[in-house]
Amino acid sequence: MPDFSLSPEQESLRDMARKFARTEMAPHAAECDKAARFPDEIYRKAFDLGLMNLNVPAEYGGSGLSLFDQCLIVEELAYACGGMTTSVIANCLALEPILLAGTPEQKERWLKPFCAAYQFASFCLTEPSGGSDAGGLRTRARKEGDHYVLSGEKCFITNAPHASLFTVFATIDPSLRHRGITAFAVPRSAAGVIPGKDEEKMGHRASSTSTVRFEDVRVPEADRLGGDGDGFALAMRTLDQTRTPIGALATGIAQAALDHAAAYSLKRQSFGKPISEHQAIQIKLANMAQAVHAARLLTWHAAWTIDHGAKGTLESSIAKCFASDSALHVADEAIQTFGGYGYMKEYPVEKLLRDAKLTQIYEGANEIQRSVIARELLRAYS
Amino acid sequence: MEIVVCVKPVPEPETRLRVAPDGRTLDAEGVKFILAGYDESAVEQALLMKESVPGSTVHVLSCGPAPRTEEVLRAAIALGCDKATWVEAPAPFASDPVRAAGAIAAVLRSGAHDLILCGKQAGDDEAGLFAGALGELLGVADLGFVVDLRWDASSSRFKFQRVTEPGVERWEAAPPLVVGLQQAWNDPRTAKLPNILKSRKAPIARAPADASGATPSSEPEKFELPPPRTGARMIEFKTPEEAAQRLVRVLREEAKVLS
Ligand SMILES: Cc1cc2nc3c(=O)[nH]c(=O)nc-3n(C[C@H](O)[C@H](O)[C@H](O)COP(=O)(O)OP(=O)(O)OC[C@H]3O[C@@H](n4cnc5c(N)ncnc54)[C@H](O)[C@@H]3O)c2cc1C
Repeated sequence: MPDFSLSPEQESLRDMARKFARTEMAPHAAECDKAARFPDEIYRKAFDLGLMNLNVPAEYGGSGLSLFDQCLIVEELAYACGGMTTSVIANCLALEPILLAGTPEQKERWLKPFCAAYQFASFCLTEPSGGSDAGGLRTRARKEGDHYVLSGEKCFITNAPHASLFTVFATIDPSLRHRGITAFAVPRSAAGVIPGKDEEKMGHRASSTSTVRFEDVRVPEADRLGGDGDGFALAMRTLDQTRTPIGALATGIAQAALDHAAAYSLKRQSFGKPISEHQAIQIKLANMAQAVHAARLLTWHAAWTIDHGAKGTLESSIAKCFASDSALHVADEAIQTFGGYGYMKEYPVEKLLRDAKLTQIYEGANEIQRSVIARELLRAYS
Repeated sequence: MEIVVCVKPVPEPETRLRVAPDGRTLDAEGVKFILAGYDESAVEQALLMKESVPGSTVHVLSCGPAPRTEEVLRAAIALGCDKATWVEAPAPFASDPVRAAGAIAAVLRSGAHDLILCGKQAGDDEAGLFAGALGELLGVADLGFVVDLRWDASSSRFKFQRVTEPGVERWEAAPPLVVGLQQAWNDPRTAKLPNILKSRKAPIARAPADASGATPSSEPEKFELPPPRTGARMIEFKTPEEAAQRLVRVLREEAKVLS
């Protein structure tokens, strides 16, 4: 039987995340956006409260939450600031390959010390020559005895300038395409790991994004995640897990946009009455509310599906794609509701649009989500 | 040190309150109950005291109905309280501070306590009677409006301050002591996520409130919402100068109270 009511436990997790988001994150969101500041002190608090390594089981020092519970938290955080949320949850993405493919020994060695202290990990898949076509990546992993030597460059890597650990996807032989891709856990301390300068971004400016160069980095075979050639499937399985929280992140941004727009519409007067009494604005708000509600339910359903043991590729792609498109649309309509003020940086809604935009691009651009959805869909008919 | 902290589930401040059909109580349907700021400060004080005096335990108690009372007790456990007792009582009973104090005193009488903390007043009715009633019923000294409570091991006394209208008073007192705390002077901590998860499984002792012979100290006669406010108007501005100019113009030209 479907059941959409949250348990008391889920309510208390959500309430805690809401309190943190609204008291610690929200007051600094505009300032960090303006200055493109990475608010280390806020991330440290998030770590202390257990909000950072949500998907890592408690035995390795994480919070061990179901995907559903992760989504509840991510939505609350994103309501206050999408950019901070991206940086807070990036560890979940970077550590997922270790959770999925790591041996017990690797998990013990990598996850335990990592989760015991405040630090960042980065997921390194995208390259300057292409992100969507992950099978065509060019970073090389040459085998030399019991080591691999990594060389190449990754780009748009979240938290890379601050990370102490990288999960890196490289190819042992580009001619093998997908079947050559292999994953590694690489510490920042390894010689030849060189994160670049922070990129100047449109949104998510409290988050940090840069290139990472690997200049003949020696990686022991013991730090390979899975076998040679298992990396592509591992990257896809990782994204199957982490795509759904991006739906939650987008939902949080959309909910914030709706709340701002509805509150403003009651205050702002035109033609002698609050604009909320003009039907055109009411229709806008009603459509925004539908989009937010549907985005949340699709996200919850995808998370529930995966928590119940299914792969959930179709469900999570639908959730991520729909929620992110909705977030952009709802943020746009929020700006329209604010009129000229909405276009001004002094008001909070234009940031929501800039932040919403990224959710259509990262963790698999929406064009890719649509092609995945179509593939899964057509399979059922053929 | 045996530390006790008493908390009351109160509606979340953003709640849109409704009066129940009986006209004398709050409609609790759909209302979220939380620890109020005063109680958060009391819990924080209990935990600070525990952390500063090795070997201390914190026992949290609350009097009220299901499920709200259990929820605030779990919130207090998630913050770090060691054990919890739910003194079960229906809402009208528990909302009478003197009867609630009586029910909690009945549980506390069977143990020895050094320090009994609570908010200086409840976050909802703000009656400010509970600490005094509890002290009286237990025969223990009680003081409200307290901040910055510390244990001085050399003199075996509590040292603390009271923030009152005329100024700040410095006090010391020997245990046992009942204390009502000021709100948010100590920056109450937020529960960590793993502790929230653990708190869901923590045992909570139950003690039915002994209602026999406890006569209500007061009973609400009628409960009504304040009339909606009208006539307020926001003046939008960018600089203080602009705000002042616009305000003067409104006072002069529209309200006509300035000439
Ligand atoms: C702020 C930010 C943070 C990021 N963080 C990370 C990170 O931590 N780790 C990481 O590995 N990556 C990260 N990325 C990279 C992100 O995942 C990629 O940008 C994304 O996958 C798209 O890849 P691309 O930018 O190379 O675009 P391309 O792959 O070049 O695509 C360009 C356009 O073509 C479309 N397209 C491409 N192929 C197809 C196709 N077959 N059919 C239809 N349309 C297609 C795309 O959808 C897109 O619209 C981040 C990106 C940003 C902007």
